[in-house]
Amino acid sequence: MSRRPPRGEYIETDTGNKVARKATLVGTQNIMLGGKTVIQPEVMIRGDLVRSIQSSSSSSSSGTPNNTAVAIGRYCFLSRASCLRPPGRFYKGAFTYMPLRMGDHVFVGPSSVIQAASIGSHVHIGARVVVGEFAIIKDYVRVLDETVIPPNMVIPSFSIVAGQPARVIGEVPEGGHEAFELRDLYKTVGNNPQPPAS
Amino acid sequence: MAPLNPYTYIQCPCSDSASLGRPSDATSPTSADGDEEDNAFDPRAPRANFSLYPLEYLLYCEDCHQIRCPRCITEEIATYFCPSCLFEVPSSNLKSEGNRCTRSCFQCPICIGPLSVTSIEAPPSDPSLLVPDRAGTPHTTYSLICSYCSWSSTEIGIQFDKPNSIHAQLAKIRNGGASRLTAKERKERRKELSHRGGEAALAASSEAAAGQDMDLETQFANLKLFYNSQLADPNAGDNGFSSLGDLGFSSPSSLSRIMNLYTGGKLHDPRAKSKLGAMREAITADEGLLETDLDESSLITQLHQSDFLDTASSTQICSQPPNLGETYIYGAARFNSSLRPVPYLLRTKRSKRCPVCRHIISKPEAKVQTTRFRIRLVAGSYIPSITIRRLNLPGPNGPAAPAILGDLLEPLKPVHFVLTFKNPIFESLKVTLGAPAKTPGRFPSKVTVLCPQFDIDANTDVWDEALKENDRESSGRSRRRAGTESQFQVEVGKIWERGRNWVSIIVEVVPASLKLEPGRDVLKQDEDVLEIPMFVRIEWEAEGGGDDAASGTGRDKDQKEKKELAYWCVLGLGRIKQG
Ligand SMILES: [Zn+2]
Ligand SMILES: [Zn+2]
Ligand SMILES: [Zn+2]
Ligand SMILES: [Zn+2]
Repeated sequence: MSRRPPRGEYIETDTGNKVARKATLVGTQNIMLGGKTVIQPEVMIRGDLVRSIQSSSSSSSSGTPNNTAVAIGRYCFLSRASCLRPPGRFYKGAFTYMPLRMGDHVFVGPSSVIQAASIGSHVHIGARVVVGEFAIIKDYVRVLDETVIPPNMVIPSFSIVAGQPARVIGEVPEGGHEAFELRDLYKTVGNNPQPPAS
Repeated sequence: MAPLNPYTYIQCPCSDSASLGRPSDATSPTSADGDEEDNAFDPRAPRANFSLYPLEYLLYCEDCHQIRCPRCITEEIATYFCPSCLFEVPSSNLKSEGNRCTRSCFQCPICIGPLSVTSIEAPPSDPSLLVPDRAGTPHTTYSLICSYCSWSSTEIGIQFDKPNSIHAQLAKIRNGGASRLTAKERKERRKELSHRGGEAALAASSEAAAGQDMDLETQFANLKLFYNSQLADPNAGDNGFSSLGDLGFSSPSSLSRIMNLYTGGKLHDPRAKSKLGAMREAITADEGLLETDLDESSLITQLHQSDFLDTASSTQICSQPPNLGETYIYGAARFNSSLRPVPYLLRTKRSKRCPVCRHIISKPEAKVQTTRFRIRLVAGSYIPSITIRRLNLPGPNGPAAPAILGDLLEPLKPVHFVLTFKNPIFESLKVTLGAPAKTPGRFPSKVTVLCPQFDIDANTDVWDEALKENDRESSGRSRRRAGTESQFQVEVGKIWERGRNWVSIIVEVVPASLKLEPGRDVLKQDEDVLEIPMFVRIEWEAEGGGDDAASGTGRDKDQKEKKELAYWCVLGLGRIKQG
């Protein structure tokens, strides 16, 4: 990460990521950021929880083990005090973590904890949400505030989910797809934030 | 009280039966022209609830040039799929298997969380009990476990031998672990028995059926078989009561009609006409007779001994699938132990049609895993979006505190709201607004739209915009941006702010006072919400007749066609402070 002379609140990388200095990124070598992602203060990403058992297919095909613990796409927005933590389980008698993958334009609300196996693109996760281990959230999903998504739950595309435990309470309407875009939100934070477009 | 975020709801024309489907061309006068003031839309009218939608929920028919809402469109199912395993279910399977996933996807009967198949570690087995041939491979069984509340299918005495096709395995197990025959197995067994022939075998089967708890599915199958055999029996009709019997339940024609209702066959069986007359009823369990067991004392003692938490709630019972393995239809015990895992209901992908011209206005790609649409005509790409922001002008004591959305509105104190209209189309839009001077309802607030008529520039290419933006830097927009809003005066007839494809105007509102006669009246729910109805008319010039637009580039100007669309919308501005 390149540091620029004026010490702002954010570190802005060459690929356009804006990472708050007050964010805690553990095991940065295992965290992949696609670019243009905002990581707000007090966010924690547990890149140290790396897979300890390599799946047989990947180790045979390529010599170097894949050590990605958390992979984040483009234009994601991790709000203050949210936490990304790879899920873990027993696999063939031994405990191992598995990578957490996130697509593009994923918004994670403040104080939410994400332990999903995968989150698609264009997903909005509200505030104080818990996404359980190995949950799978597909594209265009809206998770309302304070939802608890149980481990292993699969949420299909265009779902609106809420509740404890989460249940699908509605469908994202056809006209609601564009609202998931986070390009404009990206511009409003950082060391030289632009005012939100009216 | 919960803070209220400003909102805009748009009325679909389908609520007005007269204008439904009529293309909004210039010749047909809309209700707005004549008696607009008289029948101003009342957002509080009970019917308004059914016609107001946020912009995202509305579609648009290009042929009718009209807004379409979820209430008036017609839907067609494109794909059925399981929301848990995301496998597509062919529609042919639906008829035979029902509308639930038949793989291994289940919801917890207690909390509706997802159930996952988990292996139960075989207890350290007593070597003396070990069957020699099984010694090499320890026998593992599987259970369904809820990852949210830790409910396990072992609590209802159900375990599985295989980790896959749980649905099929579950169909063979009753709560408690007793096995039951599936419909197919029962049929085979019956066939086998009748094959063997002999009265003895039949009597044995009849006894077996009676001995085994007859569940709903078995009873239905037995009855169906019995009645079918009655219908097929040529002697059944020969008893002289044909004219009378035809009206009764026990006549073949009404019976075949009823059975067709249940089995989804043709309503009229041509063969039924030829056979009129009464038939006998089922008299053995094998024929589907089930004697009602009116002795519920054991259930009552069980209820006495159990806890409230051992009984199922009505929501839990409602989410139960119709359980054909249920033993009795009457006196069903409502214990948690009688609940069963709930197979996931299937979900659908649907295309949507205009109710008037039948054109498809939304069509998703059929594959489950793709989120693309072949056709997606959303209202948001045809009519301007309206966003609401509260404006705080400086008071006499210096600059005002920044307005926070969701703040309560002071009664009788003028407030200003900035309405921003964003043009989604590639032509410039002429917008005309109309709002009743007083909001409808018991507490009329005064409303003044300071600039009821304006033009919005076209939604041009983003790069054009970038160039234009430089020109504009010195004028209007940046001026407002640089200075604080407090430097500006609210002027009547003037646009507040303008951008590439958007225009902001000001609406002045004097909220009503919510004074109630003490002790007499109460405020109804949400009566303190300040909602203003607004009539929006947009006019634009469109390329005439899509097809010849490309050829007639020279006559472009003549080809342009005037279009207009008018609709009511409701702006929710905030709550008025009480007292
Ligand atoms: Zn409608
Ligand atoms: Zn399934
Ligand atoms: Zn549960
Ligand atoms: Zn139409």
